[in-house]
Amino acid sequence: MSAGASSLASPDLSTRVGPLRLQNPILTASGTFGYGLEFAERADLHRLGGLVTKGLSLEPLAGNPPVRIAETRGGMLNSIGLQNIGVDRFLSDVLPGLKDLPPKVIVNLFGYAQDEYVRLAERVDPYEGVAAVELNVSCPNVSKGGIEFGHDPDVLSGLVRRVRSATGKPIVVKLSPNVTSPQALGRAAQEGGADILSAVNTFVGMAIDTATRRPVLSTIRGGLSGPAIKPLALRIVFDVAREVDLPVIGIGGIETVDDVLEFLLAGASAVQVGTALFRDPRTAERLVDGLRERLRVDGIPSVDSLIGAAARPE
Amino acid sequence: MAAVDSRGEVLDVQALPLPYFLLRARVAAMEPAEPGQFVMVASANRPEPYLRRAFSVYDQEPASDGSLVISLLGKVIGRGTEALAACVPGERIPVLGPLGTGFHSVADDASKFGRAALVAGGIGSAGLGLLAQALERAGRSFDFFYGGRSAEDLVEAETFRRLSERTGGWLVTTTEDGSAGERGLITTPLEAGLRAGAGYTTVFTCGPHGLMAAVARIAADAGVAGEAATETPMGCGYGACLGCAVTLKNGGYALCCRQGPVFRLDEVAW
Repeated sequence: MSAGASSLASPDLSTRVGPLRLQNPILTASGTFGYGLEFAERADLHRLGGLVTKGLSLEPLAGNPPVRIAETRGGMLNSIGLQNIGVDRFLSDVLPGLKDLPPKVIVNLFGYAQDEYVRLAERVDPYEGVAAVELNVSCPNVSKGGIEFGHDPDVLSGLVRRVRSATGKPIVVKLSPNVTSPQALGRAAQEGGADILSAVNTFVGMAIDTATRRPVLSTIRGGLSGPAIKPLALRIVFDVAREVDLPVIGIGGIETVDDVLEFLLAGASAVQVGTALFRDPRTAERLVDGLRERLRVDGIPSVDSLIGAAARPE
Repeated sequence: MAAVDSRGEVLDVQALPLPYFLLRARVAAMEPAEPGQFVMVASANRPEPYLRRAFSVYDQEPASDGSLVISLLGKVIGRGTEALAACVPGERIPVLGPLGTGFHSVADDASKFGRAALVAGGIGSAGLGLLAQALERAGRSFDFFYGGRSAEDLVEAETFRRLSERTGGWLVTTTEDGSAGERGLITTPLEAGLRAGAGYTTVFTCGPHGLMAAVARIAADAGVAGEAATETPMGCGYGACLGCAVTLKNGGYALCCRQGPVFRLDEVAW
């Protein structure tokens, strides 16, 4: 290392993710931090790079019947069913309390038809406190026989194109890992006009109760998250970052500073922390502190210098 | 009232005997729990299981230095409870709490009430510890119905006998194998008591789902109000994961960790 630790009292944690400028690369993932404000008493929101809201739909949704979660080795399955308060209540009741905080607020949106995504994007577009929209494209497309929007390149690029025309906000497309080539879907999102990719959503899995001989989750299948998926997610981030010319936000089992570094080195410009927040609500801010300290000790001047380093030739 | 994530220091873990255990921990900065509230705890030294476990605060004692000593009554049934039962004195464990909404009826004017029936199934007694103490302090008489498969499941029978008798009430026990108390289910003496005019105006219950469902039906038939401390698989305990849905009679869902774990008997779709 050329720079001594003493000369780097305060490494630069800020990162640019496409049009977004974040004070640090640590965000909280959709569905793991509520709408943000509920956690003000348990976590220091000010120190986060950004927060992604629970997925919002046009109308409030009650979610799936119990059982909704099952712990598995190194992680958990969930089938929450996208329970949420609806976009209007978020904009009127929650956003005012978030918009003046330093972390960027990214609203996660989902629908069951293209139109719903478009109307959601139109709805949030006028709000200055919304830094970007993240599209959850792992929802069944009702008009296409229930195939997920994020599983068909043509459908996905068409969807993003329509959302693009509905909002000037940066568009993040959250890729599904449950496809043969996430990078092909990433390219489709780019063709549609996406600014940023986030990778990845949960892996479809299941658990069976050996005593009752029945699936544990009421919906049988659920999304696997937590440390168990980290190597799988990392591989996808690596491939997507190399093959698609868009900035990537890495997601998948991130809990330690080393996890953050791995995702940055694989090509992510920022990361989202999810399931680890359930284990410890302060995980995200701990990672901000831990990352700063690691960069300082290792004499690394900025987060920027790490991004994609593992993909570059030696 | 904010729940704080605090470091706890394990004072001791008592085998009652196993699979039941009583873990006592000193928690640096935690407000006392209301009856029915819970904490999320984990054994910090083990990477597995990944998620914390929810435990009712069974007993608590504020210390002079501002810390709180909490007692968690548990039963080893899986990896999470196994790890906690294996904690050693001095071990640091994270404790998030107090969480959730406790028994509502306790906060009300005790003078409005007649007697109470507390109905515990096995380890469900953990959810009724603070409630029994609060009723005793409030001078409200209660009978404690304690059921289990066999005598070993009635781990805290003497504690509840003492508390109920101090209020002029009784401990009533049943076991399915007849090794303690009457042979049979605890709902049988509860029903008999209600029929015989024991004067219960409220029923509180905590235990297996089937027991609480039966208590809800019995209470409704007798025209007596009541509450249950429910349990579901829980991811975070503080409203973030939305994993702990309880189905209500109105068709909606409530979060066990926020609106619950205590619900009115007549609002849950048992």
